[in-house]
Amino acid sequence: MIGRKPHPNDEDGVPEGARSPERERAIAMALAEYIDRSSREEFLNIESFSKEYPAIKDDLLPLLQSLNAMDETFHDECRPGSNGQEPLPQSLSSHRILGEIGAGGMGRVFLAQDEGLNRKIAIKVLNERFSKEAAVRSRFMEEARALAQISHPNIVAIHSLGTSEETPHFVMEYVEGTDLFRATRALTIGQRAELMQKIVLAVQVLHQHQILHRDLKPANILVRADLEPKLLDFGLARRTDSDLRLTIFGEIVGTPNYLSPEQTTPERNLDARSDIFSLGTILYEMLTGELPFSARSLAQQLESIRKDDPTLPRRLNPDIPGDLQDICLKALEKKPENRYRSAQEMADDLERFLAGEKVHASPTTYANLVSGKIAQHLREIEGWRRDEVLSDGEYEGFRKQYGRLVEREDAWILQARRLTFPQVSLYLGAWILIAGAALLFLFHFVSLSGTPRVAVALCVTTLTGWQGLSLWKKGLLRNGIAHLLALCLLIPVSLLVAMGEYHIREIVAANPDWELLHNVSQKFKEITNVQIWWAIALAMPCYVWLRAYTRSSVFSLVSSIMGATLCMVTLARMGLVDWLNNDHGKFYLSLLPIAALFLACGFILESLKLSNDSRYFYPFAVSLAFVALSGLAYDYTRLQKSLNDLLPWTRGSVEYLFIANAGIYFVLQTVLGRSTLPQLQLVAKAFRFVIPGHVLTSLLSLGHDSIALWNASQGNIALKREARTFEILLPIVAWFFIYASIPKQMKNYFVTGSLFLMIGIVRLQQDIFQDRVRWSVVLMILGLLLMFSATRYSSIKMSVSRLFRRPS
Amino acid sequence: MDHPTSTFDLLTRFQNGERSAFSLLFHKYQRRLAVLIYYKMSADLRGHVEVDDILQEVFFAASGSLKGFTYHSPGSLMAWLSRIADNAIIDAARHQNREKRNPEELLPFRSESNPHGAEPVDLDTPSRIFARQENVVMLLRKLDALPDDYRKVILLAKFEGLSTSEIAERIGKSREGAALLLHRALKRIRELEQAEEAK
Repeated sequence: MIGRKPHPNDEDGVPEGARSPERERAIAMALAEYIDRSSREEFLNIESFSKEYPAIKDDLLPLLQSLNAMDETFHDECRPGSNGQEPLPQSLSSHRILGEIGAGGMGRVFLAQDEGLNRKIAIKVLNERFSKEAAVRSRFMEEARALAQISHPNIVAIHSLGTSEETPHFVMEYVEGTDLFRATRALTIGQRAELMQKIVLAVQVLHQHQILHRDLKPANILVRADLEPKLLDFGLARRTDSDLRLTIFGEIVGTPNYLSPEQTTPERNLDARSDIFSLGTILYEMLTGELPFSARSLAQQLESIRKDDPTLPRRLNPDIPGDLQDICLKALEKKPENRYRSAQEMADDLERFLAGEKVHASPTTYANLVSGKIAQHLREIEGWRRDEVLSDGEYEGFRKQYGRLVEREDAWILQARRLTFPQVSLYLGAWILIAGAALLFLFHFVSLSGTPRVAVALCVTTLTGWQGLSLWKKGLLRNGIAHLLALCLLIPVSLLVAMGEYHIREIVAANPDWELLHNVSQKFKEITNVQIWWAIALAMPCYVWLRAYTRSSVFSLVSSIMGATLCMVTLARMGLVDWLNNDHGKFYLSLLPIAALFLACGFILESLKLSNDSRYFYPFAVSLAFVALSGLAYDYTRLQKSLNDLLPWTRGSVEYLFIANAGIYFVLQTVLGRSTLPQLQLVAKAFRFVIPGHVLTSLLSLGHDSIALWNASQGNIALKREARTFEILLPIVAWFFIYASIPKQMKNYFVTGSLFLMIGIVRLQQDIFQDRVRWSVVLMILGLLLMFSATRYSSIKMSVSRLFRRPS
Repeated sequence: MDHPTSTFDLLTRFQNGERSAFSLLFHKYQRRLAVLIYYKMSADLRGHVEVDDILQEVFFAASGSLKGFTYHSPGSLMAWLSRIADNAIIDAARHQNREKRNPEELLPFRSESNPHGAEPVDLDTPSRIFARQENVVMLLRKLDALPDDYRKVILLAKFEGLSTSEIAERIGKSREGAALLLHRALKRIRELEQAEEAK
């Protein structure tokens, strides 16, 4: 289009002379001059400018008028920034206006002189653009009225409302000070915290009056020379109980830095906790001098507020105390429910910090930080394993170590890991509490019996439970868990006290000697096995509920321990004490179903993806299985007798039973090892682990026995053959285990095998190859050959495979 | 009709840490910049992204880097903002193209094209910035009626606040050629105004 011929009607309405190209050129150059001068922001009066060009004045002036009309389009609003465009009113509410001190999206703020009281005041005026809109106008006045209800040293005071005849405005106190950000620079950390506490308390006062500020930022907080902050500018403030919303385009621009995550998404009902977030942002900036969330574009900025974890303040300024960092991060939690519930809570924590006490804040940021980074690293390590950079063992090691840190749901573990004075006191207190309660059911107290004793026990239990739950709800996880764990033991204890006092289910066993407590000490009260059984059985659902409520797997640990105790009490009711005295085998036999029960529990939980819980059941299953099977082999005489009857050559030796046990473990590890559940595979590994020890120790012991028998029998050939068999069998089986270490990477197979191979070689030397140097030479040659074959492994393998392939 | 030093004043005040000065700067330039942005955007993009969103992005970006801005000449701030606007529009167009592929990725604020976005600060959609501004709408109507080259020269002269030699450089003409083009463009504007008055 450029360079196109002028439109034929371009010259219409222009006097005759204007048609000449010279005249047109002259006008164009005058226009150019005007444009150049005004581009330097030179103020030009178009009338006098045109007078400089008398020849073309008549053509020039209308064009300049059109040009300037565009300017007026932008100035019609009479923004305060377009200095002098809108004159200052002479007076408002009969106060003399001295000047303008500020402006925002909604209006302007004037400095005025209150002649009557001879003081300076500030007057906030609604922008003319809005003063005609009834909703905005009434909103503006409502803000003033709401603020006027509040009298607080750190909130700007409203003196009076403008009359309806004048432009909407209200008169407020004039605060001389600098904005918070600039005021903070010269302060110490302690002073900053103190200043922040005053601000937070002022916000709390607003909240108490059902006002949300919604636009807290350093520019809206002035600090006087005596370090008293004042909250100003409630342009976005709205009453929490009404849904009036009034925000003005432009207000957000340049300052979305202090918005809360919920303010960046639509249709979220804001509450006091949104202001808490803004306070957190302000505190962060006061402490570090940087904004917690910043990005290059607005969209990214809002995204950052919603998603990013802020850099830890201490990373930016190591002088910031950890407690103050905790407070800041607690206020900056993404989810409102994780933040302080009220400004008062935040102020209380700041108070604690200033008093040198431990603050209550425990931000989830740390857990997220740790688990986020670790999850990332774990993925990387997983990749390294896949690429065979790491061995399976190394991978497992990392995973296990990291796993402990990643337990996200158990956030309290992170807090509880450090032994601090309050931490130790907390646990010690719980322990003493339980001990005290236990005394109530264990012993007779003459002065406290019957209902009072039950009442005391119940009182303590209820109090602990209530305290634990409320602490948990408040987010004081570590303290809550300690109370709830104490509760877990207090429930059966108080049940026992009640059952003891009211003689509930006081059923004595068929044989009074079977009573467990009675067996432990004669001094104890007569609490029967049945009562203990019921106390634990009734408490079990509570543990399950606590696990579900708190989502803490530690209650599964409690469940498994108490479950094991319950099983023992069940056995006691069936005659455990009797078995321990007379028939050990029966006791060990009865452990087997319990082991199976725990294995099943672990398996079910792990299948339900509750691997944090299942891990507390498997260890019971494995150790009970070991105890039961070993006990049966060693202590169950009936089994040894039947072995002797069935296979007389075994002479009923315990060793054969242990080898049989190894066979059972082998079957178990094969079956369980097929599962894809990682913890069940660990169980399989545990069973696999003990096999070589069982087999080789038994072989060694059997060899010993047969040599001793042979020596005693004075030349029994059969015994000699048996002794020789064991002597040769031991190194061979050891050799077998050494190579069996390969498929499942069982290092203990290699170590145990090597150890017993050496023992076997030495025994062969002592018994068969005594004084034969050839034996040691053969061993050395064999060793060298093995080492040589190892270095040439692949070529040997290739030639061997070629050897076999050729005939086919 | 600006006070000769007002922009410089505001800039200095902002750079000295007075944050409210930014708000004033914003109000001073927002409409002029909005019109510029309107004409910088392609018709396709205009159908999807609002001038207001771009404007917000421009001022957001400006608020971040204004501290480091050096005031060379009266027009330099507007020229600088105009450059930021170019980038913001490119970003928006890129985002727009991406959005066509991944519709779940949303623009920051709610608009006709983006009904689930965050609620905008003012509710007079579309083009909230032009709403309640009868004379701005009229100005847009006039500018719309101009041939492209006329409109371009007016935008450069009046909205970007460039000098004639800068304009000449932008449109690839001599200074005199630019002046003549501006002359014709203004005459056309004048005619449109007269036609309006006649109605």
